[in-house]
Amino acid sequence: MGTSAQLLDRAGALAEVCGRPDLQRRLLQARARSADPRVRVLVVGEPKQGKSSLVNGLVGAPVCPVADDVATVVPTVVRAGEAPRASLVLATGPGGIGGGSPDDDGPTERVPVPVDQVAARVTGEGTDRLVQAEVELPRRLLDGLELVDTAGVGGVGAQRALRTVDLLPTADAVLVVSDASQEFTAPEMAFLEQAAALCPTVVCVLTKTDACPHWREVAELDRGHLARRGIEAPLFAVSAALAQLAVQHRDRELHEESGIGALVTHLRREVVDRAEVLTRRALVHDLRAVTEHLSLAVRTELAGLEDPSAREELVRGLEQARAAADDLRRRSSRWQQVLTDGVTDLVADIDFDLRDRSRVVVREAEEAIDAQDPGPMWPELSEWLDRRIAAAVADSYVWAEQRSEWLAERVIEQFARDGGGAVPALTVGAAGEALAGLVELPTVDDGAMTLRERTLIGLRGSYTGVLMTGLVTSLAGMAIINPVSLAAGILLGRKAYRDDQQQRLQRRRSEAKAVVRRHLDEVVFQVAKHLKDRLRTVSRTLRDLITDTAEEMSRSLADAVAAAQRATREATAERDARIRSLRQRRDQLDRLAADVRALERAAVAAP
Amino acid sequence: MTGPARSGAEAGSTALDAVRALLDDAVAHYADVPAAAARLEAQRRRLDEPLRLALVGRVKSGKSTLLNALVGARVAPTDAGECTRVVTLYRHGATPRVELHGTDGGRRTLPVRRADGGLRLELGGTPPEEIAQLVVDWPTDDLLRATVVDTPGIASLSTGTSARTHGFLGADDGVAGADAIVFLTRQPQPEDVAVLAAFQAGTGGEGALTTTITVLSRADEVGAGRLDALHAADAVARRMSADPQVAAVSSAVVPVAGLLALAGRTLRHGDFVALRALAGADQQQVSRMLLTADRFTRPEAPVPLPAEVRTALLDRLGLFGIRLSIALVRAGVPDATALAEELLRRSGLAELQRLLRVHFTERGAQLRAGTALRLVEEVLAEHPVEGDDELRAELERLRLATPDLGELALLARSRAPHGPLPPELRAEGERLLGAEGTGPAARLGLPAGTPDDALRQAALEALARWRTAADDPLAGRATADAAEVVVRACEALLAALDRSAAAGRPR
Repeated sequence: MGTSAQLLDRAGALAEVCGRPDLQRRLLQARARSADPRVRVLVVGEPKQGKSSLVNGLVGAPVCPVADDVATVVPTVVRAGEAPRASLVLATGPGGIGGGSPDDDGPTERVPVPVDQVAARVTGEGTDRLVQAEVELPRRLLDGLELVDTAGVGGVGAQRALRTVDLLPTADAVLVVSDASQEFTAPEMAFLEQAAALCPTVVCVLTKTDACPHWREVAELDRGHLARRGIEAPLFAVSAALAQLAVQHRDRELHEESGIGALVTHLRREVVDRAEVLTRRALVHDLRAVTEHLSLAVRTELAGLEDPSAREELVRGLEQARAAADDLRRRSSRWQQVLTDGVTDLVADIDFDLRDRSRVVVREAEEAIDAQDPGPMWPELSEWLDRRIAAAVADSYVWAEQRSEWLAERVIEQFARDGGGAVPALTVGAAGEALAGLVELPTVDDGAMTLRERTLIGLRGSYTGVLMTGLVTSLAGMAIINPVSLAAGILLGRKAYRDDQQQRLQRRRSEAKAVVRRHLDEVVFQVAKHLKDRLRTVSRTLRDLITDTAEEMSRSLADAVAAAQRATREATAERDARIRSLRQRRDQLDRLAADVRALERAAVAAP
Repeated sequence: MTGPARSGAEAGSTALDAVRALLDDAVAHYADVPAAAARLEAQRRRLDEPLRLALVGRVKSGKSTLLNALVGARVAPTDAGECTRVVTLYRHGATPRVELHGTDGGRRTLPVRRADGGLRLELGGTPPEEIAQLVVDWPTDDLLRATVVDTPGIASLSTGTSARTHGFLGADDGVAGADAIVFLTRQPQPEDVAVLAAFQAGTGGEGALTTTITVLSRADEVGAGRLDALHAADAVARRMSADPQVAAVSSAVVPVAGLLALAGRTLRHGDFVALRALAGADQQQVSRMLLTADRFTRPEAPVPLPAEVRTALLDRLGLFGIRLSIALVRAGVPDATALAEELLRRSGLAELQRLLRVHFTERGAQLRAGTALRLVEEVLAEHPVEGDDELRAELERLRLATPDLGELALLARSRAPHGPLPPELRAEGERLLGAEGTGPAARLGLPAGTPDDALRQAALEALARWRTAADDPLAGRATADAAEVVVRACEALLAALDRSAAAGRPR
């Protein structure tokens, strides 16, 4: 038995000899997938729960900022490296802080910093352009794993909280951190449910067990909450402070007490190893499929050559196979139907869902505008609106992702009753990307007037008053400007001013409503377009995948038919040579198949 | 405070009499509208009760612990899990008594079970959903001036619990359950701020800001219970009070270590003896013991204290409290009384009590009168009846006649965006209106104990400044009115100074 890379090489060579470039391509893809098995673990939670301390405790070095007040504002990525090394990723382009993952966020630059200073450099002043910090450490825990310390979710004044939710779909596992001083709160549970929907592995971590005498009770309560909500997530109670002390004093007992060992073991065994098992399973599946395809052609030809009497039966069998291939093609029209219908439904549903959500937001905004003067409160209103939109859109994305996964499963089930393949990785993408392209909400008149404007409005009103009354009183022999006309002027001036104020308020209200409606239309348009594009990609991925598989199968069958026919024609001398080479090839294939089976057994035994 | 405080109270009580009369009038007018009459009557009753102070916050934010510290006894139940599930009023009474108010309107007395110098509340098998509220009478002077309300936590996972708090605050029956709020938080979250804003909208917008104080609770847990945790908490509280979203709903942020304060108020000699034993033992061994709560309560320990004693100590003081107490005893604190005082001083409870006094209890009469007037105005707007002109006129007269009410209303508005006070004068204006204390020195921003002459001089200068502001022909109407309120506050201040000078001369 060889390593998976060697097996891939052997299978690739055989596919080349047999003249099957399609299978070679498949092997290349499998190799690319298994080459990067890095597992991304997000550490998330509300502010001040000890996320950064936990990461520091896990890697045994103070690489993430820890402070009494909110410290972490950008993600810190900790991964394995040969030597300790750290760098800051800074946005260089204008408006680089836009959301989404830092990889596609516009131009960035990397500034190397000493590892012992990285924690100090990512907090406080001068972090505006910072996108994320990256640290490499030579740790056994980090083999094939990267830890991402994130800014807290929620918290007043934390505008970057949405980024954390955006990161969720990119993660292989999530550590949800909550401290041991209290059980889960409703917002924490909502976040947990979101995380469980978006991420294959969720682990809860109860921190600060050193400072809370009742952590055992809290842990029990939390397990109860999780069980009631049907969230399958193990809960670990740890103390990062003890873990750090244990490293400092090299104290085994402290390390045991800190509980961090169990978490590390779980991460390695359940998260990293399981991810490895999954990649290996996919690899074995690919290898086995390729070997079977190849040996089908070889065996048929060989059988035809070795036993001419059975040839006719063979040809009959092959005719059946050809019929199977036709059947396959027919079935493919069915799955295509399912896929097209599904995507159409999905697009319509998502459009409706988005519109529905936006209608709710519009209604709430209009109520707020009617209740108050929108001018002075516009900054708060627009901030609230941004928050509501972000939340609504994020929900839409989560839903779209779940729906498309469900669709993929159905299509594949329809197509491959023989276990044709695993569901491919589909990502609808994150809400931040769609929202990033959005224009800012325009401002409305804040209703504040300068003294000059006010005086002018007042004067305009009082002018007519003075004139009108003055004319009348002038008949009584008074001057046009007299106390009576002045008093009338003041009265009318005040009335004009008040009327004008009322009008302005009305205007501001209708303007604000129009702005909100326009803005939401824009949001719906942009997001719907983005979502539709993404869904089209999803359906294309699915279609390509299934078409490729179908082609492979029908080509194998056709090859086998052709080979059988060739075998009936070929001359004896040539036949002997052919048989020898075919036997050799068959033996190679058998050996390969045996090795693949051995690899598969290892993969099954591993978890 | 002697003179001015009393004069404030007097002004409040005369205003209160007039408000009582107004409410009685209104009740008579609305005899035909039972819903409105019921609301007015409830408000009328509340007018003669002490101020109601509600402790509000997330689950496990330390509301019950702070309540116990304020009362000075363990009367509210505390536990590792979510514990307070019904709204509970703690008011002054000659003897301990517990009364259960059912949602069906029924009332029954529950047995009083004393435990550990405090009270053990037992609902006697009634499910929390059927309880409107519990009312506990407790004999302590701390409850004389204000009734304190313990509420179930916001953002609770057990359904219905948070709803009960919302119901209580949000005034389902038209009468807000509380006159003032102490909001406890460890890290303000958007949901919490939203709840506060909703409450303030419910109590009528105006006067809302002055009725909320934010407490950075469990301050001893900031910085994982290091010895300087309370300093760190101070810094966090300062940052928090500068946050515009917090400032919009609350007038001040103070850090309080509730458990420490409670320990200070209920410390017993036995506790001190145990702490002395710990302080006297080998320093290194003790500090290893104090690394975690688990270690501290292990059966075997290098100090001659049984595990039960240590567990009890941990329950009463918390890990931080024990660390701090040991450091204090080592530094030479001689006895339980001195230690209790020191703990209390450091816990931040004294500062909270001062703020409560300045903001709430000293203004109790005005706050309640303000709530009552708002209700009358609301009722008038909702159900106009024949002959309500008199009521309206009286309402308007009361508004104008009681400068304190104007002060409070202005103080509440001044922090809103585009508040009426000109920005350059806002800080001084708020101070003169009594944002930092209703004593003359506090209003003038001078240190306590400043001689009367200096106070007079400063008050005259302030008066002159604000007269100019009020007479400024270019100022807007709102600004001029606001400045006028401040001018009246200055005049009242000078009058009070004159009175105290006349009374204080012989002394």
